[in-house]
Amino acid sequence: MNEQHQKLKLYLDKQITDCIQRCKLLTAENRMDEGNFEKVRANVYEIFKTILSAAEKVYGTDNIAEKRFFLEKADQIPKSWTASYENAKQHGDIEKMHMESIKLDTVREIKDICMQIWEETI
Amino acid sequence: MTEAEAISLFKCLSDKSRLQILKSLVVEDMYVERLAERLGLTAPTISFHLKKLSDAGAVTAYKNQYYMMYSLNKERFQTSILAILQQESDEAQKQAQRDAEYRQRVIDAFFEYGKLKSIPTQRKKERIVLEVIAEAFDFDRVYSEREVNIIIADFHDDFCTIRRDMVGEQLLGRNGMEYWRIKIPQ
Repeated sequence: MNEQHQKLKLYLDKQITDCIQRCKLLTAENRMDEGNFEKVRANVYEIFKTILSAAEKVYGTDNIAEKRFFLEKADQIPKSWTASYENAKQHGDIEKMHMESIKLDTVREIKDICMQIWEETI
Repeated sequence: MTEAEAISLFKCLSDKSRLQILKSLVVEDMYVERLAERLGLTAPTISFHLKKLSDAGAVTAYKNQYYMMYSLNKERFQTSILAILQQESDEAQKQAQRDAEYRQRVIDAFFEYGKLKSIPTQRKKERIVLEVIAEAFDFDRVYSEREVNIIIADFHDDFCTIRRDMVGEQLLGRNGMEYWRIKIPQ
């Protein structure tokens, strides 16, 4: 496992733990919907943790190829979310728009962190 | 307020953030950013909650210059919870139908060719059986104990138990040796 992979994995693990923790606190406070938003965020981090693990299996120690694969997926996967957001926007469905924007914001954040980690260590 | 509207409103209110929004709107009408600042939530989260509150009829919106202002729909909250509970349920008809079906099942199980096969042990079932027997009595007529026994004996041999239970269930009134049928309040 290369250094960048290790750092990104640690970051995703921490985000998942934090989201779950926040979800528990919000649910205990009877803020169910906001608790669900945290679950949605945690799911996105989980998806990208799985992608990172797949990237390692496919490319091994080739960290440049691994980064490319990861960022490609980070562009591909949210396409359906963007479409869903636009569709919701057309119909004035604020609830759906909010859910999709949480997912899209989380992906943007993951991409930024990914690029930051690879730049720092290369 | 219909039952569906009440459910929607109660579901909507069972969230601390939404309750905080309503508490703010009780004080004055506000726009999204002001609420976000006040409650320490993001503007999209406030919009999400306001949409739910608006769908439940708890808030209304109006345009004021550049801002969309939100205000509490006070009329919605003037209905008392008791008034909602007292309103006839959308389910009332279905419940009445289910009750009638249950009653018929009990009658079919305990009566055969107009005779009572056995006295039910369960009070609820016995009540139904006794109501059927009570139909053999006329209203506004006084019966002697002998007449009561003869009528009940047409249904079952244990007329003493049934007569006593009919009095206990207030299907028959009694004064000494005289009996009469009591009208069941609806």
